[in-house]
Amino acid sequence: MNAQNEENLKELFERFVDDSQAEGSVEDIRKGDEILFEHPAPEPDKELIADIKAKTARAVLRRRAGGFKRRAYKIASVAAVFIVLAAIGVKLFESGSRSEGFVTASIIPRAIWDSNNIVTDDEDLATLTAEIEQIEGELLALQLGENGRNGYGDLVELEMELIEIDSDFWKG
Amino acid sequence: MARSDDLVQIIKGCKGSEAESFEKLIDIYGRRCYGYFYRLTGNREISDDLLGELFVKLVAKIGSYKGGSFEGWLFKTASNLFHDYLRSKQRQRKLLEVRKKQFESEVTESKQCGSERIDKLQIQLEKLDADTRELIMLRFYSELRFKEIAKMRGEPIGTTLSKLHRGLKKLRVLMEQ
Repeated sequence: MNAQNEENLKELFERFVDDSQAEGSVEDIRKGDEILFEHPAPEPDKELIADIKAKTARAVLRRRAGGFKRRAYKIASVAAVFIVLAAIGVKLFESGSRSEGFVTASIIPRAIWDSNNIVTDDEDLATLTAEIEQIEGELLALQLGENGRNGYGDLVELEMELIEIDSDFWKG
Repeated sequence: MARSDDLVQIIKGCKGSEAESFEKLIDIYGRRCYGYFYRLTGNREISDDLLGELFVKLVAKIGSYKGGSFEGWLFKTASNLFHDYLRSKQRQRKLLEVRKKQFESEVTESKQCGSERIDKLQIQLEKLDADTRELIMLRFYSELRFKEIAKMRGEPIGTTLSKLHRGLKKLRVLMEQ
């Protein structure tokens, strides 16, 4: 009764009753304790203690196994999360690079990106450039009268026709 | 009683799921817990069951012990187990039947065999109210201080002191009859 021996019962009782009453109460408790000491309860059988120890050992084993399972499930679930995240990451990366190629192709032809001279390497642009050059040449020849007619007269005539078309358009 | 350093190591071992540490715990507290259960039930068979249940339960519950008085924690668990046991109607009925039979047989036995010392105390304890009987047994077997017992029971220390004093005084009177 270590803790109880250290406990000062009289002091405890004096917090609630007077000195003489406290002394009487302590004496009552001491005598009560004596009765309990004089009449010990039966002790557990050795077989019972051995049986309880065996049961406890089994419970410890179950608990350890349970702990191992819990840890394994935890590790497996964390690994699964990593795998799923990695798979999603790869998927996103692949679709991202594919869409980038599509946008590039739809707006600017690959030949333009790869070319050092756009005018010669791009087929459409080369055709357009050639046509413009031809029109420029014809217009210059017309102005200089190289086609055997009076270039200035043709231009004035063309201008007059355009004015006429324009006025007809507004007249309805 | 184990030195507090030894007890700390044993509890640490129990928390680490070491079967040997639980064995040591049973060696230290087995008798006291058994006495507590026996004095509350008056029946060896039931006390055997409760003691077994208590230590198996400790394996699962030891993690919830966060320091402080280990005896306080242990006997609180034992007390809860005893109350759970009483709440079970089937078991309660069994207990009452067993107690009745045992009471009759013990009175006869005590007269015949002269082993009246142990039996007489058990018989007189039955005459105290259940709460006072439990308080007396809790203090005797747990070896806790009044302050800790009052805290465990959730009542002022003055109430605990007064109940225990009256209970032990009445028990003495009964034993002297």
